[in-house]
Amino acid sequence: MNLFLYLDRDTCVHRLDPRTKLFLMFGSFAVAVLFFAPIPLLLLLGVLLAYGTVGRALGNLRRIWPLLLSIAAVSIVSWSVFAGGSTPLLWRATREGLVYGIGAAVKIVSMIVSGLVFLSTTKTEEIVLGLIRLRVPFQAAFAFSLAIRMVPTIIGTAVTVTEAQRSRGLDTESGGPLARLRTYIPLLVPIFLHTLRNTDQLAKALESRGFGARRERTSLLEIGFHARDAVALALGAMALAWFVWLRFVW
Amino acid sequence: MIRLDDVSFRYRAGKEPALRAITCHIRPGELVGLLGRSGSGRSTLAATLNGTIPHLVRGDLTGRVHIDGEDIRAKRPRDLADRIGFVFQDFEAQLFSTDVSLEVAFGPENLGVDRAEIARRVERCLGLVRLSHLRHKAPAALSGGQKQRLALASILALEPRMLVLDEPTSDLDPAGRRELLDAIRALRQAGDLTLLMIDPETDEMGWADRLIVLDGGQIAMDGSPAALWNRADELDALGVKGFTLAALAGRLGLRERWPDAASAVDAIRRGGWQAVAGGAERLHAADGARALGEVLLEVDGLIHRYPDGTEALGGVSCAIRRGEFVAILGQNGSGKTTLVKHLNGILAPTAGDIRLAGQSLRGQPATVLSRRVGLVFQNPDHQIFAERVWDEVAFGPRLQGLSEADVRRRVEEALDAVGLADLGDADPFILTKGSRQRVAVASTLATKPDVIILDEPTTGLDFRELQGMMALIQRLNAAGHTIVIITHAMDIAAAYARRVVLMQGGRILLDGPTREVFADEPRIGQTGLTPPPVVQVGNRLGVPALTLEELVSGLTRDAGAQGRRGDAPTGDLGPRTSDRIPGTSRP
Repeated sequence: MNLFLYLDRDTCVHRLDPRTKLFLMFGSFAVAVLFFAPIPLLLLLGVLLAYGTVGRALGNLRRIWPLLLSIAAVSIVSWSVFAGGSTPLLWRATREGLVYGIGAAVKIVSMIVSGLVFLSTTKTEEIVLGLIRLRVPFQAAFAFSLAIRMVPTIIGTAVTVTEAQRSRGLDTESGGPLARLRTYIPLLVPIFLHTLRNTDQLAKALESRGFGARRERTSLLEIGFHARDAVALALGAMALAWFVWLRFVW
Repeated sequence: MIRLDDVSFRYRAGKEPALRAITCHIRPGELVGLLGRSGSGRSTLAATLNGTIPHLVRGDLTGRVHIDGEDIRAKRPRDLADRIGFVFQDFEAQLFSTDVSLEVAFGPENLGVDRAEIARRVERCLGLVRLSHLRHKAPAALSGGQKQRLALASILALEPRMLVLDEPTSDLDPAGRRELLDAIRALRQAGDLTLLMIDPETDEMGWADRLIVLDGGQIAMDGSPAALWNRADELDALGVKGFTLAALAGRLGLRERWPDAASAVDAIRRGGWQAVAGGAERLHAADGARALGEVLLEVDGLIHRYPDGTEALGGVSCAIRRGEFVAILGQNGSGKTTLVKHLNGILAPTAGDIRLAGQSLRGQPATVLSRRVGLVFQNPDHQIFAERVWDEVAFGPRLQGLSEADVRRRVEEALDAVGLADLGDADPFILTKGSRQRVAVASTLATKPDVIILDEPTTGLDFRELQGMMALIQRLNAAGHTIVIITHAMDIAAAYARRVVLMQGGRILLDGPTREVFADEPRIGQTGLTPPPVVQVGNRLGVPALTLEELVSGLTRDAGAQGRRGDAPTGDLGPRTSDRIPGTSRP
C-alpha cells in the first residue's frame, strides 16, 4: 500500500521550482481565506482543478474523495442550521446559512485540493530544498520532511496493531462512545511505544549518515528558476491581484 | 583499525554492566563475526565503536575505544560517519528519502561533498549492491532485501573503511538474506573494508576471518571459524548454535571442516559411510503411523485481491485436520500471511470459501472467530499493552465475558503452559524478546482456540529462546492443539512440522508430509528456498532425514572402511517423534 501522495510524472507542474509551487499554494490559500461567497470560491476551485489537471495530480483526489465529501456535507448541513438568517428554508435551516455553508465547504475543499496538488507534484526532497533556499534552517525543513515520512509508518503500525488485537477478540467497531474509548487503550499503547522505539532507531540511523555533521550541506538535487517559473509566477500573481480586486474594489 | 582497551559499560537503567573489561584489536581488512546469546553484549559492543554509546545511549562508559589510533570518546556518530559505517537490523527506520538515488546521496550531502562527486558515489554504490536499475524508484516500494541493500549502499556512499552490521539479515526472507550476503561478499572482494557483523546464524558466518563470542559482556571465545569448528559443546554452553555440519562430522567421527553440503557428501562417502538398507522406508513408515483427526479447517479456492487490484492469493485450497502440525513456507510476498489472516476472519475472501468444522466463515466477525482460531502475530510488541503479564493474558478471556474465576483458571493454565507461571506480576516490557513472545502465545492460549497459528514465532529469538519456543509449540501440539506456523527457518520446519505447505506467488506449489516436500529439492529451489544442510546431505546420500539424529542413524559404515563400524549411534530422536500425521491434500 503506497501512502505517499507524490505521483512520479513528468508534467510542466512537476518541473516548476518548488518555491514557485509554494507561492501558488499560499496564494490560493490567501484567496480562499478572503472570500465567503460561493461564486468566487467556486471559481478558485475551478482554477485549482485546472492546475491539478495540467499536473496530472487529480488521481489522488480519488483516494480522499470520501473525506472531501463528508467535510463538505458536514459544513453545509451545520452552517445551514446554525448560521441563522432571515429566510427560512426547512426546519431551522435558512437560505443565508445554506449559502454560507456552501461557501465554507468550497473554501476547505479548495485548500485541500491546493495542498494535494502541491504534494502530488513535488518530491519531499524538493520541498526541503525549496524551504532551505527560502532561508528556512535545514534542521527545521528536514523535520517537516520527516513528519511526512512518519505518517505511512504510523498508519502501518496502527493497521498491524488493530489486526493483532482483533485477533484476540477486541471489538473495535461496535459499542457506544465510552465502550469505544476503552477499546482504544489496547490499540494506542502498542502504537505509541512502537512509534517511540522507531523514532529512537531513526535518530541512530540519521546520526550514522552524518546528519548535522557540517553546517554547510550540499545537494545532489538541483532546483532553479526557469522561464516556466516566470510564466507560472506571473499568471499566479495576476490571478491573485484579480481576486483581491474582486474582493475589495469591485 | 579498531582497538578496545578495557572497555566497560553499564546502561543508565541497568543493574549489571552490559560490557565488562573488553580488550580486543580488530585488524584492517578483517571480517569479524560477533556471536552470543541475546543480552550478551553484542549490540552494546558495536554501539561503542561509533560513539552511539555514550552520545545517543546514556550510561557509564569506561576504558578507551580507538579508531585508527584516535581516541573517539569525544566524537559523535555523525563525526565518525566517514570512517565507520553502521547498518541496522530495522531497514525501514534507515530510509528517509522518496527516491533511491537521493537516499544514497543523503549521507555525502550531510558531509558537504561536492555535487559531481556525490553523483559518482551514488552510481558506484548502487552498482555495488546491484540496485542501479531501481535508481528512481521510491524506497518504500522495494522488497525487504532491496531495502537493506539500499541501506548498505547509503552507508557505503560515505566511504567508510570500517563497517558494522548489526543483525542486517534478521528481518529478511531467505532470498533477501542471500542478496545481502552476496553484496557484502562482493564488497570484501572490491576493497580492504574492515567488517564487523552480528549474525545469530553461526552457519552463515563460516566465511568470516574471525569469530568473537560474547557472554555476559565478556569475550568468551575468539578464533577463526576453523578453530571454533569442533567446539560445539562450548558454543552451546554460551547459548550459541554450533556449525551444523561440524556436528554431523563429529557424530560420524570425521575431523574435516566442510564449507558446504556438497563437500560434506563427498567426505562422508570417502569416509565409507552409506545409507542403511531399508532405512528410507522405515522413516516413511514411521511418518504415517499416527491416525488422522477429522478435517477442521478447509480452504476452498481462496482468492484475495487487495483494493489496488494486486492478487495476493490466486486460488488456494487445502484442508487441515485436527492435531496437525503444519508449516507454511515461502518468500515474502508469496501470500503466507494473507492466507492465515483469512483463517480467523481478519481478511475476507474476494472469492472462494473457508470452512471451520464444516461451517463457512463468511459473515463471521474476527471477534467471534478469535475464540476458535488463535493467531499469534510476528512481533509481540504489536499487541502487548498491559502493565502486568497476568492482565495481558487475561485480556482475551475477559473479552469473551467469562467469570473472573474462569478467567483466573485460563490465565494460570496458559502461563503454566508457556513456563511463565512465576512472572504473572512482572511488567511485560522488562522481559526479554523470547519471554514477550511467550506472553503473546499465552494470550492466545488463554482463549482456548481449536487452532493456533503462529506467524514467524522464532524471529528475533536467540538459539536458546528459539529452542524453548519450539519445544513449547511441540508440547501444545502433543496436547492436542492443531498448530500452523509460518516460518523462514527451514531447519525448524524440517525438525518440527509434520506437514509443509510451500507457497509461491499466491499459490500452493507443494503440500505434503515434510519428508516428501523436503525431498523435492528442485521444486523448493524454484521458490529460492534451500532445505537445511542436514536435509541436503541426506537427500544426496539416499537418507530422507529431517534431523541430524535421523541422518546419523540412517548411515552405516561399510566393512572395508577403517575405524568404527556398524550402525551409527542411535538414541534420542530429537524433537521428532515417531508418530507423524502426513498431509491430507495435494495440489
